[in-house]
Amino acid sequence: MIKQEVEIINKLGLHARASTKLTQVAAQFSSQIWIERNARRVNAKSIMGVMMLAAGKGSKITFEVEGQDEGPAMAALLNLVNDRFGEGE
Amino acid sequence: MSFTMHGVGVSAGIAIGRAHLVSHALLEVAHYDVRPEQLDFEVHRFEQAVTTVREELSSIRQSLPNNAPAEMGAFVDTHLMILSDSSLSQMPKTIMREERCNAEWALKQQMETLVEQFEAIEDVYLRERKFDVVQVVERVIKALLGHPNQAALAEQESGMILVAHDLSPADAIQFKQHQFAAFITDVGGATSHTAILARSLNIPSIVALSHARNLIQDGEMIIVDGQQGVVIVGPDKDTLAEYKLRQEQWEIDQQKLKRIKQTAAVTLDGTAIELHANIEIPQDIVQTKAAGATGIGLYRTEFLFMNRRDWPDEDEQFEAYRKVAHAMKGLPVTIRTLDIGADKQVNPDSERTVTNPALGLRAIRLCLAEPQMFHAHLRAILRASNYGKVKILIPMLCNLVELKQALQAIERAKQSLKDDNIGFDAKVPVGGMIEIPAAALGANLFARHLDFLSIGTNDLIQYTLAIDRTDGEVAHLYNPLHPAVLQLVEMTIRAANKAKKEISVCGEMAGDVRLTRMLLGFGLRQFSMHPAHILAVKRQVLNTELPKIENLVRKILASNEPEKTELLLAKLNA
Repeated sequence: MIKQEVEIINKLGLHARASTKLTQVAAQFSSQIWIERNARRVNAKSIMGVMMLAAGKGSKITFEVEGQDEGPAMAALLNLVNDRFGEGE
Repeated sequence: MSFTMHGVGVSAGIAIGRAHLVSHALLEVAHYDVRPEQLDFEVHRFEQAVTTVREELSSIRQSLPNNAPAEMGAFVDTHLMILSDSSLSQMPKTIMREERCNAEWALKQQMETLVEQFEAIEDVYLRERKFDVVQVVERVIKALLGHPNQAALAEQESGMILVAHDLSPADAIQFKQHQFAAFITDVGGATSHTAILARSLNIPSIVALSHARNLIQDGEMIIVDGQQGVVIVGPDKDTLAEYKLRQEQWEIDQQKLKRIKQTAAVTLDGTAIELHANIEIPQDIVQTKAAGATGIGLYRTEFLFMNRRDWPDEDEQFEAYRKVAHAMKGLPVTIRTLDIGADKQVNPDSERTVTNPALGLRAIRLCLAEPQMFHAHLRAILRASNYGKVKILIPMLCNLVELKQALQAIERAKQSLKDDNIGFDAKVPVGGMIEIPAAALGANLFARHLDFLSIGTNDLIQYTLAIDRTDGEVAHLYNPLHPAVLQLVEMTIRAANKAKKEISVCGEMAGDVRLTRMLLGFGLRQFSMHPAHILAVKRQVLNTELPKIENLVRKILASNEPEKTELLLAKLNA
């Protein structure tokens, strides 16, 4: 199991489109993926859960990945967040 | 009983037909017990409904036209994911088994739980996503209730009038394949999905009818007059006959007008007139070409920026502008820089409330206050200038300082493109909108510093008369023929002509055939209007002899009495 905290840096935070992207990326991996924020823990493969995290810009979330492909999964998720979900700002 | 409703007509024409109400499936949900031995069947029924909706959404996703805005696809994707989410696709099954209740009830209960959680979110935008959940649930419930799949209705629907609370983009895409005679909705505005869809299908449409869905019954006979924004419910025989006649006349007239599509717009005395189109989205090009427009006089860029939270990036904007520039094949495409603020709010959940948005931070003022956004916007427009004859139009100019700042911003954008080795038309003409009385009074100064001018009559009238047309209490005072308005318009045209700069009118006055001759008499040679009006205005141009109208036009300009003005105008158009 690996765990890592990351800051949401895109302007709009985890809004609907970003949540969709995150869920899509998470679904590509067989590992169990959880996101934690302010004591709320949701399945990253559930768009509803991700949206309900209500993680705005500047908030910190923690990915918790467990499974065979946990390494690549974590890398892909961090990459997505740090790439501002491809929104360019 | 017959009654009449008034809304905002967003697509012209007359339709007569029976109402087809888009049901509010959630209101029909019943709660009943399911016997234990029936539970498996009930769960299966639910799973089937989810599958049906998944197929529906997937097919909508696939039938998206290539030119559909990117957010439409993203929107359907989000709905598909919400549907697949275990909180919607699995949880209801647990509820069914625990409570031994029917599928619809279980789903509705689960939806309410989810909505409640969304409502607890502080972020306004994310909180609003509850509507996405509700829309998805509605689809599943419709499937459960065995409401005929919309697609299966296709044949019998021709001639039917769609009555809905609102159309979501997914609905809009779906209904596109049907042959409704008209669309009417409770909410919406000129740029709502309903309006855009109706215009692209060329069928009448009225929005903002407040309680249409509650007042109109399914199957009831209704008349929709898209031009006037009037809906007549349950018309009597005489009214019906009258509208049938009007509808026929309208159609005959439309056919007649088509014949002059290729005819050059030249007055009887041989003066050539340019008739351009106002457009909002690249798809409007189809209608523009069908109307035989010789250019785009006003491309409103707001649409790309609305109903979203982020600014569209440079590439997304460039794609849209390039499409239009390219499609017009060398004909002028006047791209107006972003005109938001006032009635056109970008971000519906903006926390900033302004008491008087029409007088606030909007259009060029907003752009100058958001230099990064403006820079990307200008770069996108300039890049498109490499693919056609692009002109840049700056809205809401009020003083020369703003103008100079805007021109500097354009220079900066040009320089940055040069630095990046990206091509653009170095001689792209830059013009200004004259829509603030101060700018009309100083039109000669603006003409000196710009390549062309364009009069935005809607705002010019609003600011000159201090009338907010959307305010029902004072709307009747909004008058394009007010002497002060006419003088400002004439003065601006004269100043531009004197400076030998192109001048156009792009507000609603340009598309009103009653005013065509008067504007010609003021010296106007370029009109820009909604494509639907172009052919009618052209017919008026073809029947006008300029030397003959001079005298009457001078009298109209000098008239100070509304009745006299009306009389003179009638005489002018006789």
